[in-house]
Amino acid sequence: MSFVEVEEANPVMASAPIAPYNSSPLGNSSSPNASRESLKMEPLADFAMLPGEERVTDKEIIYICPFNAAVKGKVFITNYRLYFKNTDSETPVTLDVPLGVISRVEKMGGASSRGENSYGLEITCKDMRNLRFALKQEGHSRRDIFEILFKYAFPLSHGMQLFAFLSQEKYEENGWNVYEPMDEYRRQGLPNSEWRITFINKTYELCDTYPTVLAVPYKATEEDLKRVATFRSRCRIPVLSWFHKENHAVITRCSQPLVGMSGKRNKDDERYLDLIREANGTTKLTIYDARPNVNAVANKATGGGYEGDDAYQNAELVFLDIHNIHVMRESLKKLKDIVYPNVEESHWLSSLESTHWLEHIKLVLSGAIQVADKVSSGSSVVVHCSDGWDRTAQLTSLAMLMLDSYYRTLRGFQVLLEKEWIGFGHKFASRIGHGDKNHADQDRSPIFLQFIDCVWQMTKQFPTAFEFNERLLVVILDHLYSCRFGTFLYNCESVRDSNSVRGKTVSLWSFVNSDTSLYINPFYTPESSRVLYPVASMRHLELWVTYYIRWNPRIQHQQQSPVEQRYKELLALRDQYLKKLEELKLSDSAPSSTHLTNSSTPNAATPNQHITHLQTPF
Amino acid sequence: MELSEHIKTANVEDVTLKRPFHPALRGTLCVTSHHLLFSDRKDEASWQLLILLRNIDAIEKSVENLFGYPRAVGSSGTITIKCKDLLVLQLEIPGMEECLNIASSIEALSSLESVTEMYPFFYRPSHLTLQGPWGLSSMEQYYKQTERLWDRWRVSTVNSDYSVCPSYPSAVIVPREVADDMLIRSARFRQGGRFPVLSYCHHRNGMVIMRSSQPLTGANKKRCKEDELLLQAVIDGSELGYVIDLRSAQQAQQARMTGGGFESKSCYSHWKRIHRHHERGKVVQESLIKLVEACSDPSHSVDRWLSKLENSKWLSHVHSALSTAGLVVECVERDGHSVLVHGSEGTDNTLLVSSLAQLILDPASRTVTGFLCLLEREWIQAGHPFQQRCAHSAYSHARLKQECPSFLLLLDCVWQVWRQFPLALEFSEALLLRLAQEAYASNYGTFLCNSEQERCAAGVKENTHCLLQSLLKPDIEEQYLNPLYEPTDLAIWPSVHPQSLQLWTGLFLRWTEYAQNMVEAREEVWSIVKEHRERAGPDQTNNTLSTHCETLTPFENLMDELTIL
Repeated sequence: MSFVEVEEANPVMASAPIAPYNSSPLGNSSSPNASRESLKMEPLADFAMLPGEERVTDKEIIYICPFNAAVKGKVFITNYRLYFKNTDSETPVTLDVPLGVISRVEKMGGASSRGENSYGLEITCKDMRNLRFALKQEGHSRRDIFEILFKYAFPLSHGMQLFAFLSQEKYEENGWNVYEPMDEYRRQGLPNSEWRITFINKTYELCDTYPTVLAVPYKATEEDLKRVATFRSRCRIPVLSWFHKENHAVITRCSQPLVGMSGKRNKDDERYLDLIREANGTTKLTIYDARPNVNAVANKATGGGYEGDDAYQNAELVFLDIHNIHVMRESLKKLKDIVYPNVEESHWLSSLESTHWLEHIKLVLSGAIQVADKVSSGSSVVVHCSDGWDRTAQLTSLAMLMLDSYYRTLRGFQVLLEKEWIGFGHKFASRIGHGDKNHADQDRSPIFLQFIDCVWQMTKQFPTAFEFNERLLVVILDHLYSCRFGTFLYNCESVRDSNSVRGKTVSLWSFVNSDTSLYINPFYTPESSRVLYPVASMRHLELWVTYYIRWNPRIQHQQQSPVEQRYKELLALRDQYLKKLEELKLSDSAPSSTHLTNSSTPNAATPNQHITHLQTPF
Repeated sequence: MELSEHIKTANVEDVTLKRPFHPALRGTLCVTSHHLLFSDRKDEASWQLLILLRNIDAIEKSVENLFGYPRAVGSSGTITIKCKDLLVLQLEIPGMEECLNIASSIEALSSLESVTEMYPFFYRPSHLTLQGPWGLSSMEQYYKQTERLWDRWRVSTVNSDYSVCPSYPSAVIVPREVADDMLIRSARFRQGGRFPVLSYCHHRNGMVIMRSSQPLTGANKKRCKEDELLLQAVIDGSELGYVIDLRSAQQAQQARMTGGGFESKSCYSHWKRIHRHHERGKVVQESLIKLVEACSDPSHSVDRWLSKLENSKWLSHVHSALSTAGLVVECVERDGHSVLVHGSEGTDNTLLVSSLAQLILDPASRTVTGFLCLLEREWIQAGHPFQQRCAHSAYSHARLKQECPSFLLLLDCVWQVWRQFPLALEFSEALLLRLAQEAYASNYGTFLCNSEQERCAAGVKENTHCLLQSLLKPDIEEQYLNPLYEPTDLAIWPSVHPQSLQLWTGLFLRWTEYAQNMVEAREEVWSIVKEHRERAGPDQTNNTLSTHCETLTPFENLMDELTIL
């Protein structure tokens, strides 16, 4: 959505009588939607700025497009984005990149570098692409632009505010109201005789990375909670994430116990886990430790660990073998290497395999399937990893998505993210590095992206089970980085509160919910009681090509499933009819004959005309 | 020997049937001349499984108590049946002797050699009759229906007794100005007599796709004046045509040592040759075997799945076929030149490329009828040796003879096109799956024999039913239609980048649970589409108007009343 790069719509035949077969999207392919949309942008038209967005500078520059030749044009930098448009040809080439996407800005070449376009800037982005610009090799021409980019791309490193705090955008919907913890607990059937709501953390005294409202076993006192907190890493005690209305089994989440080298025990923690087990009479509580066994053991050295058999006799411990944030970061880096700028073609599948990205996806999904399966069989579970904000969030939220069809609706998915990720303190600021110049920070990791990928895999396997479409997932990921909305800023609720995020920024859901039609899956069939078990076998996982390789113009034409496009049109048509009917009902004086002649106009077969027709109001 | 003499044990009770993702069932097993029938014991609402013996690709037996007493209590055996449609079943049969008898009957009856003994010659469903024409269309009819051919092309019946080319149909379309005796000479200069004939004439510019086998130039560079004139007549004075040779330049050179060859520049001055290497025969068959092996690996922790998929090379065959078809389309549609396609024999990759090119170019071949006609013309009539190629599928332990999944590869390529252009084809994946199954084992005679000549000799047309006809009669089943079909006149160029090509899970993983999910999802999509159709109508011309009128009628009536008042 933020990037419009129009490659040549009609590749001209090379002068040789036969060019090597080029399967790039042709202007006459039957799914011209993407290119048509892009062509609307006039080559030199100004871009529309957001309310609160201010122009900072502009400069003549050469964009070294990795898919085409170098393109001469002009770059505009605002406090929100980098915008480039070409000036050298009829075919428009534009770039529209929110500065938040930038991970690193580097100078490329020196004043004495030889070769064409060797002097300039190289920008590494967080969303699977890099941008290179070349400048004239004279008079330190890049110094200003480098400094401005560096400052505005990393405002927090320069004592400035993120754009979300400067934005003046207004929406009909207020996305901050999407998630009300109490409403969500009530929807799940809480409180009840087994689980109660506690406000012990209302000033973040119990745990500064947890939300204010928590659901805990009915029999656990506030004092119990405080004592359990001393034995859990960063005081992240086991609390309820989801309650199964029929069998009363629950998903609870927490951090690792502070067992340490000496194998410490804590009676309160042991009793507390037993209270979770007893709540619905589960015979053996299952504790899912997301980590590989060895990592859990290694954590003892730093004071952490896992629940030992002796101490927790009514519990079984299962390790799910999901690797840590560093492994995931390296895996994605390898993936980027094989897809950007050029796709590794000769040994595509084995190269893909060597990134291990799909293997990690498989482990996360199959872990979540185990959790969901256990809960639907009536047993309560505890899920944790080390700190309980990365792998734990992935597992609980995916399991909830499998178990509870509410989370598969457009609203419900937003609630799920607000609750399990944002509320429970997935460290978005550290993992993404919003506005921070330190690109090599070891805390950065694509954990949330990996989760969204898992969701996408599920939508692929159950094409009618989700109310939302792929576009929503891409928009979420784009604004994960963009810093235009406050939704994903900061590491936890307490910091968000102290920065008044709700008051001073706009929620991503305000933007999304003001035009939901864009994000609706036309094939959605609500099925309230169905548990979805995706197949987590490697054979059934696909690379999410339309996300990871979307900058490649060869892939672009496949974006926006034409099926969905077609159904959007049909839905729009239906809505128009219904509206027309309403109008007719209201105004009984309107002559209906004109209307009928209009709609009987015969239709041509080409998709273009078809769409035009649909958009023609009656 | 009567077929029934192969059956030593016709009935066994208390057999346990195991299928993937289904609970085991106990029931009775029957072997007949052409079928394996398993029926559930329960009398009311009994469940039956009927498998065509021809569908069985491999059978593995393991017998317990082999050296004990023959009738010992508890002796039993297990037969694993691996079908050509990739289904794998297990039957636990009490009694060692029964088990061995059943196995040997299946082995004998599943590999009958004689065409007239095969099931299509016995299949007599009540709703079909053997009267009337067989097949959808003939070459003459195709010519009559295709007006753009009338001017420059004619139907030649030079092969009416199959003496010129045994694998060609009795009638072929050739340039009007080329006389039959020239065709005969050209046929002598082409392997198997497969002289250049018309495959497709493009509706936009009249350019054509021709197909043939390789010319027999041999080591001493023989020439054939008539063959040269025939090709000259094809391009009809325009300066250039392209020969798409489905072998590498080196392979084409080597073919000369064994009597084959290629169209050299000096003899065919207006034809430019382009070589594209395609694997053939055994290599492709082995790819299929490797792929199916990787797909049916029971361990869910399949490590190295992607490497195995890559190593099978199946997707690279899909890639070659689609990209060469794209090249042909590029020559015809973008460049405006005619094309001759051939490899060696011209019965496999040649047909694959020419039919894919038509699917990409010609909207008429994307309808159900059009597609089935294309298969009839370009595969069945054009002499793809189905019987040899589809004798065995991926599981057989038999030594490979002439097996090659060329047709399966075509269906896979069509599936890839459908996946990339979900609106452009009128038919659904289910039709492709049905065709994949029927090509290997069928009640119908359509895929029997290797050529028209053989079908004539065996009396296939008189004694069997035609699959293609029955698919269309009386109405095509809903499941074979694409609910989202939206015709387009444009060429649909598939992307052939490796990340655009996917494993056809619907075929290769069809017996897994996931496939069941997808079937349900498809049904849901259908019902949504139908509901919307009723409410809004997708075909704006008719449905929309009519439904629209209906919804408006009450209001019109109301308004009429108001006017009267």
